[in-house]
Amino acid sequence: MTRQFKEILIKNLFALLAFVAVLVLGLIVVFLFREGLPLFRQISPGRFLFGTAWYPTYDPPEYGIWPLIVGSFTVTFFSCLIAVPLGVLSAVYISEIAPARLKNVLKSVIELLAGLPSVVLGFFGMVVIAPWLQETFDLPTGLNIVNASLMLAIMAIPTITSISEDALYAVPREFKEASYALGATKFETIARVIIPTALSGISTAVILGMARALGETMVVLMAAGGAAAVPESLFDSVRPMTASIAAEMGEAPFRSDHYHALFATGMVLFGITLAFNLIADAISNRFKETGSGTL
Amino acid sequence: MEKDMIVRAENVDFYYGSFQALTDVTMAFEKNRVTALIGPSGCGKSTLLRLLNRMNDLIDGARVEGEILFEGRNIYAPEVDPVEIRRRIGMVFQKPNPFPKSIFNNITFAPRLSGVHRKSDLEALVEESLRQAVLWDEVKDILDRSAMTLSGGQQQRLCIARALAMKPDIILMDEPTSALDPISTARIEELIDKLKQRYTIIIVTHNMQQAARVSEYTGFFYIGKLIEFGPTEKIFTNPSVKQTEDYITGRFG
Ligand SMILES: Nc1ncnc2c1ncn2[C@@H]1O[C@H](COP(=O)(O)OP(=O)(O)O)[C@@H](O)[C@H]1O
Ligand SMILES: [Mg+2]
Repeated sequence: MTRQFKEILIKNLFALLAFVAVLVLGLIVVFLFREGLPLFRQISPGRFLFGTAWYPTYDPPEYGIWPLIVGSFTVTFFSCLIAVPLGVLSAVYISEIAPARLKNVLKSVIELLAGLPSVVLGFFGMVVIAPWLQETFDLPTGLNIVNASLMLAIMAIPTITSISEDALYAVPREFKEASYALGATKFETIARVIIPTALSGISTAVILGMARALGETMVVLMAAGGAAAVPESLFDSVRPMTASIAAEMGEAPFRSDHYHALFATGMVLFGITLAFNLIADAISNRFKETGSGTL
Repeated sequence: MEKDMIVRAENVDFYYGSFQALTDVTMAFEKNRVTALIGPSGCGKSTLLRLLNRMNDLIDGARVEGEILFEGRNIYAPEVDPVEIRRRIGMVFQKPNPFPKSIFNNITFAPRLSGVHRKSDLEALVEESLRQAVLWDEVKDILDRSAMTLSGGQQQRLCIARALAMKPDIILMDEPTSALDPISTARIEELIDKLKQRYTIIIVTHNMQQAARVSEYTGFFYIGKLIEFGPTEKIFTNPSVKQTEDYITGRFG
């Protein structure tokens, strides 16, 4: 076997593997749309997206996923309200402030948190947070937006922290030195040089953290309560799209309208997550030009 | 020595952890003059320079003994705020390091830190600093553009302007032209010549001709020790230590 032949073989092998991976993903998307689109022979996309009643097993059934969309966004929003400041600030602390030994400990803890199975968090929400919420605030149920958002925040923090930390770590040392040499304090250097320089990476981290919270299923299935109604208070139960799909897919008859409606919900979810990822990409590309200048 | 000495190093030893980088350095820098520090790589030139504005504080395990007197006051005394020292002693680095911000915001970085916020004041400072750094004519129409879009030589003059905007008394330069082409180097050297009327300049350089061209005093370092220090002309034409002579004639280093 000549060296050249080997090179060609290896190159094609890698191309093939990459192609297979992309193909499989592509087929899944095709399948998603094939199973989801038939729903729109029954109801219009407008009524599907903005209908406020989700009664898939009633007669006649209602397939309005607006309450599910609102549910998804509500828990995502409130989880990010908690996770973004905590995640970004811990990244700043870990990369810029913590002494070396503590830094390593904290990094391991964050990794551990990232490895926590979501079912464990959901369980924790169910048996610890829910009863506590119920008693403290005298609620009919402790499975609600607050509970799910808290658990989702715990899921999103490791994503946000580790990506932000990479971004902060990548800020060239020269910028920090320049800042100190210009009479900036440590805090001023962090606020005026390090964070602005890492901002694109931090934004990416935030968006990916949001995407993570939005796509998370187990936690919301277990801790959000499951009421398919547009919530009116933070202590209302919600039924995010993911929870709805997971809970109902088992009982929806094959290729029934309900089945198609769940796939169509999956399409919506796919679209939203895709948009998040595109935004994250656009942001990180936009600031690519930074870094030290050419000579 | 009845001249006006703005900074004095007195019996300075410096350690990175257990490694001693400077041994018993005693020297004085005259006001409004250019002093060059030369010597082979790793002899401690940068270390000494960074001692003068307390940049070595940022390195874990660094330790200094002896005194650095700036206008008669020991800058390593416990009550001295390093931030205060760094505002009076500016620094220009080997590799141009403008912030990834606009040209305008690069220059106004230090003034804003010290509380200048009026737009007209900032604009005046930007123009004054850029003029001093002989960069104004090249960038006056693109002040909003990212500093990263400038050439290396322009970036380095921007870094000088950025330090000048802080209104320092002393400017430390650590091989400021080693990353630049000959034309940019020549412009920076002209600039140094101009700046010494108002500032005291201490410059580390690898380039012997550069030291000879721009400086009034030269200190030669070797393995953490100040071997010889005196008027540049004397060091280059009639050094009194054999090691100095060997170095400047290119026999080692
Ligand atoms: N941050 C540091 N930690 C440990 N040793 C260092 C550090 N910076 C410099 N040194 C060592 O100190 C010595 C002097 O370095 P430096 O002052 O940078 O030399 P020069 O600028 O003359 O080339 C060298 O031996 C170098 O390896
Ligand atoms: Mg050096």
